[in-house]
Amino acid sequence: MRHDPDQDGRTSLRQRLRNSLWPVLKSLVLVGVTTIGLLILDQFFALRHVTLVYLVPVVIAATKLGIVPAVIAAIAGGGASAFFFYPPIYSFLVQDPQHLIELPLFVFVAIVTGHLATNLKRQAELARRRETEVQDLYAFSRQLAAAHTANDIYTAIRQHLTSMIGRRTILFETAPRGGVGATLSNEERVPERVKRETEAVIGRRKDSRSDSVVDDGEGHLWLVRPVAGKAEDFGVLAIDLGQQAGAKADAIRQRVDTVLDDATTTLEHLDLGQAISEARVRSETEALRDALIGSVSHQLRTPLVSILGAATVISRAPGNRSDPRLASLADILRDEVDRLNSDVQDLLDAALISSKGVRLESEWVEPADIVNTAIDRRQRLLAGHRVALDIPSELPFIYVDPILLEQALGQIVDNAAKYSQPGSAIQVAVRSDSTSVILSVKDEGFGLVGEESTRLWERFFRGERHASNVSGSGLGLWIAKAFVTANGGEIEAFSEGAGRGTIVSIRLPASEAPKPDLMVGDDG
Amino acid sequence: MDSSSILVIDDELHIRQFLRAAFEFEGFAVQEASDAEEGIRSATLKPPDLIILDLGLPDRDGSSVIERLRSWSNVPIIVLTVRSREREKVRLLELGADDYVVKPFGIGELIARARAALRPRAVTPLGDPVVRVGRLEINLATRAGTFDGKRLVLGPKEYLVLQILAQHAGRVVTRQQIMKQVWGGSHLDDTHYLRIVVRNLRKKIEVDPTRPRILLTELGVGYRLGT
Repeated sequence: MRHDPDQDGRTSLRQRLRNSLWPVLKSLVLVGVTTIGLLILDQFFALRHVTLVYLVPVVIAATKLGIVPAVIAAIAGGGASAFFFYPPIYSFLVQDPQHLIELPLFVFVAIVTGHLATNLKRQAELARRRETEVQDLYAFSRQLAAAHTANDIYTAIRQHLTSMIGRRTILFETAPRGGVGATLSNEERVPERVKRETEAVIGRRKDSRSDSVVDDGEGHLWLVRPVAGKAEDFGVLAIDLGQQAGAKADAIRQRVDTVLDDATTTLEHLDLGQAISEARVRSETEALRDALIGSVSHQLRTPLVSILGAATVISRAPGNRSDPRLASLADILRDEVDRLNSDVQDLLDAALISSKGVRLESEWVEPADIVNTAIDRRQRLLAGHRVALDIPSELPFIYVDPILLEQALGQIVDNAAKYSQPGSAIQVAVRSDSTSVILSVKDEGFGLVGEESTRLWERFFRGERHASNVSGSGLGLWIAKAFVTANGGEIEAFSEGAGRGTIVSIRLPASEAPKPDLMVGDDG
Repeated sequence: MDSSSILVIDDELHIRQFLRAAFEFEGFAVQEASDAEEGIRSATLKPPDLIILDLGLPDRDGSSVIERLRSWSNVPIIVLTVRSREREKVRLLELGADDYVVKPFGIGELIARARAALRPRAVTPLGDPVVRVGRLEINLATRAGTFDGKRLVLGPKEYLVLQILAQHAGRVVTRQQIMKQVWGGSHLDDTHYLRIVVRNLRKKIEVDPTRPRILLTELGVGYRLGT
């Protein structure tokens, strides 16, 4: 139900009067319109039982305007039928005794119907609101399930609270281990005064009711309030109250209190405090590991440049050039350096993905370019395989980060070559349908068995069958999946079993490319 | 055998050593510099025919070295870079670098790039107006192209794109460089049109347009006409 929080003041009295008079006026208009309609019809047909028709405005008033306008519509309807339709016409007198019974009966029925209709509407509204609440809660729990870092959890909480309160809210994470100082859990811009007030609130948060209202200097009032349950602390919330002041703001504040009490209970039930601290520990561990991997990999890569360079120079040196044994030794060096380099690159990529996420630099790309680059860069690796490409000539352009997509496809091709016998075939194909472009790599290799097909995409996962005899970091497919997902695509692998090959496909959304109006004047 | 002189600017002693050996075997004369300041000084005192510049120098970042060199010299510059820095590559090429090689690289690749960069940049009025790239021939005077001796029917935009690439045969040309010359300065970001022109060109000059061997794409950077 809509309720008006204004309680005092002359302007608000006038406002209230207008607010309650307006629906009554509307209901009278409805009755008037019905009457005019009936009078017109009455010119053509001799109408009987017109009173019943007045139930229509009553029901409309009851569902749209509330019970008071409905009652007034009922009385007005009764009056109008007495005046216009019951003899003597144009008088409120009623002669026929049957009509004398009919009229009060109508008013009674109309009021009851109106009351029922209002109730029904209220219940429908309640049900609808519960449904949105349940949907919100469902979305919230789904987001929580997917949350990995403390930040994800805070974002989920903030979105949940925003949708429950219906106003702009900003959630400040209180510093871990009881420290004072607010960390912003998202990247929104916050007025400076609100930020300072938040810190003040965090400072005195031991008091149970330490909320306060602050003016941000730009005409907006903000309510700053801790979100804390009995035992746990979920941060401090700043809510934009808008430009209201006084009683209106107080009413919003009361509603926020109610909503937050509910929400805090939910958060406690979900044991979020625990989840947040676990996520913090997890991210610290990961940050340390990634920093380590990053610096070690850089140290590993620098000498590779000299090793590869020097080896290829030796094999090309005058006097050595004609010696096939030296050339093949240089080839070995080159292959091993390539392999080591790609493992080091995987480590660097993986560290970068988990510390900074995937940053896209998307553009319109010719899908064939991705495939050709991925294959050409791996010529040495693929030299022992029969590689077949199947690329249609008229593919839609795709909007992706070409570098990342090439690396993702490259990882798949690497795997196809590594986990199959020399001499076997690898087929790379591109297909398109109305909604997507699909790149697929099909090999005749060792296939996938057991947990390989389910754990394939995990970080550092390596199948036990191959861990000892095929080199790899266990990161390739994890990286490929991260890059494809970041580009809005999906990646999946299918195998009929051991020794029966694997098909990996990357599905990317195909969207409408811009029209080439610059091509005008070109006959090409 | 080549007698051009090459300046290698790299802070890694081992890299300078193998580059010196490699280029001397090919007949080039080699000077070395271990940081940007020394590199710029050597380039001034004894101007080389080609500069090989490592981007990871301790004293200056690569783009400022290129800017300094370009302020008075148009000596070809090949940049040694690491993978997955496409934006940086494009920026360096726009600043005036001629090409790049990704570390770690085989020396054959670098020497091929160096030879391409040493070729004259554009046809002079006195020179031969015909640019030949493999089986492709482009006559800049008559604005006509032939492939395998057969005349190519090219649209005006297609001809222009092909001409720019042929004048830089073997060298990478960024999309922005092509866009600027073909469509003018106001459409630099609409590289989509260029992609369409390239697709059409490939249908005319490639044996298999989906597996190009002549008009090659450098992902995220631009195009290169293979030699």
